[in-house]
Amino acid sequence: MSRFDDETLMRRLDGELDAETARAVDASAAADDALAARLEVLRRAGVASRAAFPAMVDPRDADLARLIAGGDTRPARTPNRFDWRRWLTPRGVGLGAGLAVAGFAAGVVIGPMTSPEPASLVDPGGRIADRRLVQVLDRRLAGDGPDGTGRAVGLTFEATDGRWCRTFNDANAAMAGLACRADNGWAIQALAAVDSPDGEMRMAASDLPMPVLAAVDSLIAGDAVSAADEVRARDAGFR
Amino acid sequence: MDEFQSELVALLPRLRRFARVLVRSDADAQDLVQETVERALAKRRVWQPGTRLDSWSFTIMKRIFIDQTRSKGRWNRVVGPADETTIHVADPAQADEALKLDALAAREAIHGLPEDQRLAVGLVLVDGLSYAEAAEVLDVPVGTLTSRLVRGRQSLVETLNAKGVTA
Repeated sequence: MSRFDDETLMRRLDGELDAETARAVDASAAADDALAARLEVLRRAGVASRAAFPAMVDPRDADLARLIAGGDTRPARTPNRFDWRRWLTPRGVGLGAGLAVAGFAAGVVIGPMTSPEPASLVDPGGRIADRRLVQVLDRRLAGDGPDGTGRAVGLTFEATDGRWCRTFNDANAAMAGLACRADNGWAIQALAAVDSPDGEMRMAASDLPMPVLAAVDSLIAGDAVSAADEVRARDAGFR
Repeated sequence: MDEFQSELVALLPRLRRFARVLVRSDADAQDLVQETVERALAKRRVWQPGTRLDSWSFTIMKRIFIDQTRSKGRWNRVVGPADETTIHVADPAQADEALKLDALAAREAIHGLPEDQRLAVGLVLVDGLSYAEAAEVLDVPVGTLTSRLVRGRQSLVETLNAKGVTA
């Protein structure tokens, strides 16, 4: 008979035990199949519960984001405040780790839609509908900087599910986002306004908005690719 | 947008997830999220920068849910077929069938829990708040939160076991 009750086992799975007790539970579970089975049942119930209620992108978030942004009466921001040197630094992604939203399970969020024509950027299915931006994502390299319309790519990386993903910036719309290659286009993963330079402290550590950084951190499998690997991925159609 | 607005936007998926734990129908969950956002905006001067916006927002949602459940009997609409049979997963391509079935069963089981246990399970097991954070949201001592969480989880496991999910 195990000396650990259900509450202790739950606390172990929730990270709510002190280190010594946690080690004691683990050691007992390693030697006691019945205890290990009880832990596994509780663990699977947790996995199923989280799968039952994922935090995920919802098209209605865009309307709520506009409602939230409604109180912002500051003048329009100047375009293109991105630091391209940082975007060209593959390992710069790590800066986002500390900014990731706690409990950010699905790794996807639609940020504030403050573009004059936000509906034209993404279609209802979550695919990028802006043809210029699709072309930029398909062909442009980070080293190219922005195109004539202010659209540009930043980081390119492989996601944990094998998809190719790229961050982008639309300077004229003052938006930045993350898109991953899907069968029929680029699926939006995160989209957020780029704050004005005098806006807030939050942007000091990075030039990507927090929702985008959080999405990158939750999806990236390793590091962002080098410039040479970016060319190879582009020439292979990001497939 | 300022820090408050940006953080609130980033919270929307989590707020909707918590709302889906509290109410069954998608329309009710959307109403709950909308009302939470409106109240958060109205009360934003009460929020102190540097403190947790997620806990604060969850507290607002919990109050709206409890107030309206008790005073108006809301959140009890007829549940449409889509709400009962459609399970959303973060990436349908990745989710295997077994997990989908497990998730469907878990959703039913969680919706069947008493309200106080459902709130505890939603905040800790689903959203991942610490016991102390969840207790603060629910305005109860940590011991009370823990006891509700344990009972809710035991009930959840029993239900899932009965359905063969975690056997």
